Amino acid sequence: MKKEKGAKGMNKVSRDSCLLKPGRHYLQGNEAIIEGALVAGCRVYAGYPITPATEAMEAASRRFPEVGGRFIQMEDEIGSACVLIGASWGGVKALTVTSSPGFSLMQEAISIAIISETPMVIIDIQRPGPGQGYITASQEDVMQARWGHHGQGPIIALAPSSVQEMFEVTIEAFNLSERWRTPVLVMAEETVAHMRESVVIPPLEEIEIINRKKPQELAIPPDNYLPWGHDIVAPMANWGEGYNVNFVGLVHLEDGNVTRYSPQMNYHCVERLHKKIEIDANSISCLDTKFLEDCNHLMICYGVVSRTAMEAVAEAHEERGLKIGYIRLRRLWPFPEEQLRNIVCEVDTIFVPEMNLGMMKHPITEALRDRCKKIVSIPSIGILHSPDYILSKVYEELR
Amino acid sequence: MKNHPMLKYLKAEGPMGPRLPTILCPGCGGGQVLNYTLHAVDRLISKDNIRKEDFLFISGIGCSSRITSHYLNFDSAWTIHGRALAVATGALLANPAFRVIVFTGDGDLAAIGGNHFIHACRRNINVTILCMNNGLYGMTGGQLAPTTEKGVVTTTTPYGNPEESFDLCKLAETAGAPYVARWTTAHPRQVVRSVMKGVRKRGTAFIEVLSQCPVHKKMSPVAMLKMFKDNTILIGKERESKEGKIPIGEFLDIDRPEWNDSYQKIVSQAREGDYRTHE
Amino acid sequence: MVTIGKILGEAFSLYEGKNSVNTQSYGPESRGGACKSEVVVSAGEIHYPNVRKADVLVALSQVALDRYLPDLKEGGILLLDPGSVKDVLDLDKYQVHEVPSMEIAYEIGGVRYQNSVALGALYGLIPHLVKESSLLKAISDNVPRNTVEINKEAFKRGMRYEKGERGKGNE
Repeated sequence: MKKEKGAKGMNKVSRDSCLLKPGRHYLQGNEAIIEGALVAGCRVYAGYPITPATEAMEAASRRFPEVGGRFIQMEDEIGSACVLIGASWGGVKALTVTSSPGFSLMQEAISIAIISETPMVIIDIQRPGPGQGYITASQEDVMQARWGHHGQGPIIALAPSSVQEMFEVTIEAFNLSERWRTPVLVMAEETVAHMRESVVIPPLEEIEIINRKKPQELAIPPDNYLPWGHDIVAPMANWGEGYNVNFVGLVHLEDGNVTRYSPQMNYHCVERLHKKIEIDANSISCLDTKFLEDCNHLMICYGVVSRTAMEAVAEAHEERGLKIGYIRLRRLWPFPEEQLRNIVCEVDTIFVPEMNLGMMKHPITEALRDRCKKIVSIPSIGILHSPDYILSKVYEELR
Repeated sequence: MKNHPMLKYLKAEGPMGPRLPTILCPGCGGGQVLNYTLHAVDRLISKDNIRKEDFLFISGIGCSSRITSHYLNFDSAWTIHGRALAVATGALLANPAFRVIVFTGDGDLAAIGGNHFIHACRRNINVTILCMNNGLYGMTGGQLAPTTEKGVVTTTTPYGNPEESFDLCKLAETAGAPYVARWTTAHPRQVVRSVMKGVRKRGTAFIEVLSQCPVHKKMSPVAMLKMFKDNTILIGKERESKEGKIPIGEFLDIDRPEWNDSYQKIVSQAREGDYRTHE
Repeated sequence: MVTIGKILGEAFSLYEGKNSVNTQSYGPESRGGACKSEVVVSAGEIHYPNVRKADVLVALSQVALDRYLPDLKEGGILLLDPGSVKDVLDLDKYQVHEVPSMEIAYEIGGVRYQNSVALGALYGLIPHLVKESSLLKAISDNVPRNTVEINKEAFKRGMRYEKGERGKGNE
């Protein structure tokens, strides 16, 4: 008996590649992640069931073998994150999608992935905490993303706001992880993970896919190869290619030597990691803006909250003539301090709506304290802000 | 050391400085296990024509795991505590052709790594596990391990261990490993043969090697090796302790479907499925 | 109820070429029969993905009606099942349409067809937003293969019932 697969008829799939055909689709956020990963060339998925990320794993269990990839449900999230490391060094792009409690478990693996410069993508569908919290939406892990791993590694974290972006940002996350040889985090919320929305998939030729640089391409033979050398982003030899490459987690020299510890070597090793990501921070634009001209106030937002914020700000303009500028952070980390300072002039009040008690508010304050009179958090816990809710807080503040 | 036949498999020098000698204490059993394993690998490369590039050594954290770190002139990974088998699972998902050898210790494998240990055996992933069992946590100073016998004094059991200990071989077999053996560092040929069998076996081969820690046991290495010879008894399948001695030998050698082999069938099935009719 | 939202959203998005977002709520609301599915449709971009003030409310239980009626705009369309919904206050504030979707579903074969009946009834009230063929196609995509025909029949019965009621002047 042939088994019925996936969403019958809805997701039109190309006969050859088994990827979704270019055109219009209707997907759940969690499903869109998987389709994006497959387009990006990801062929290993490891995960563990956790609400509200489970649909992504279930979609992966169906779709990965269809394209010749491999899927495994591991015994816990720690194992899942470690599978990503093994698969990536085995030469294959790998993904896991989890939620906040699972994200906590993965921090050690993220830490070693940073220092070993392992490309991989972890997507956190945030839910409220602490503890079991609940299974609705939140943005409460955005600081954990930056500081959750032990040590002081740099982090790249992106924040999608729609199902279309779950597809696109997953591809972008893989591209960044391959280009900069680093784990990349995608901080999504339950709202977008579970929502269903139109997704337009462009022809595959139009989608940029980036793969890690290889020493073979640069004519570096095994005898001369330095696993963490040659360039600010080291070309990555993988296992099985005859390069005898040793994966290590201690601070190391460029050839992976860990025997000669010194504070200078320690500093040099970690500093290089930060420098590597800083180039990215300055080279990639990550802010969406609107209504900035002559604005008196500002609303800075990220993730799905930016959709509510956009509607609220537009309504404030129309109904009350209030000039509130809108800035959306598409990338949370590295925090785009310089880019923000370049576009923000003097304003009165900066509003920061978040689905937490005020987290990104802190780096925003650090960056723009001297450009405004006050910075006001608008928290909404466990549920997406409605435009009316944001506006009521704004009008109250500006009375 | 200059003429040691296994030196070709070690990175004696790197551009940034020498890697040898290793950090292992004088008389540590870890060096012997590394030696025996490399002998086995050497024979597999010449006899079975296995490509050197396909060998992959993975370890966790601990003295035993240190023999992987960056000493080996193979592809290798020195990963996080207890997670070598999870990383190995990932590597095999990416490339089922790898011949994975996992170096681990009793703490790394059976305490923090316990969950991954039993699931690796259950899934029957294609790894050969060399567990150097010295009955304690060596790197951190000699603490209790899940394999420390009852009554033994360690730095965290100053009044004697109140707990029972694991029989790692029974654990591996119950969890599903198709090849299970126990030797000691005083049994070089047997370890070499078991490693060869393990690599040839499609699935999880578990080889426990009782290994001496002269520093924390406060015995000389020679005395410990003698103890290993005197206090163990070679048995077949019976496996109950005789004459108060520790049973050693090949306890199990069967065949079971290996994880990637089973999953490959799923991939074929998925690709042929009727999904494609919905276009 | 969750499937109605999915089918509608798909019909709008894939077969009408419009933008559409479908969200649903969990939690205490989903126990006790008040699970909610929201669909927003627009020719242009959709920002806030949830419903602020609904143009249409389909209520299949008393609990649901009590909880979500305040979200329906004045003059909005209220489609309810008189078998399960007994008390409706302020009837004259809305355009109320009663279709016994549960009863019709049982006539056809069981409560699992209630969604299709309700969709058929709903179609008659929003024909300017979606074609019948789009809805039928979306239904086929979302039900088990061997029940596609029954579900289409359920849709048609819901549609005919609602049309009949309208004909009697129950605007």
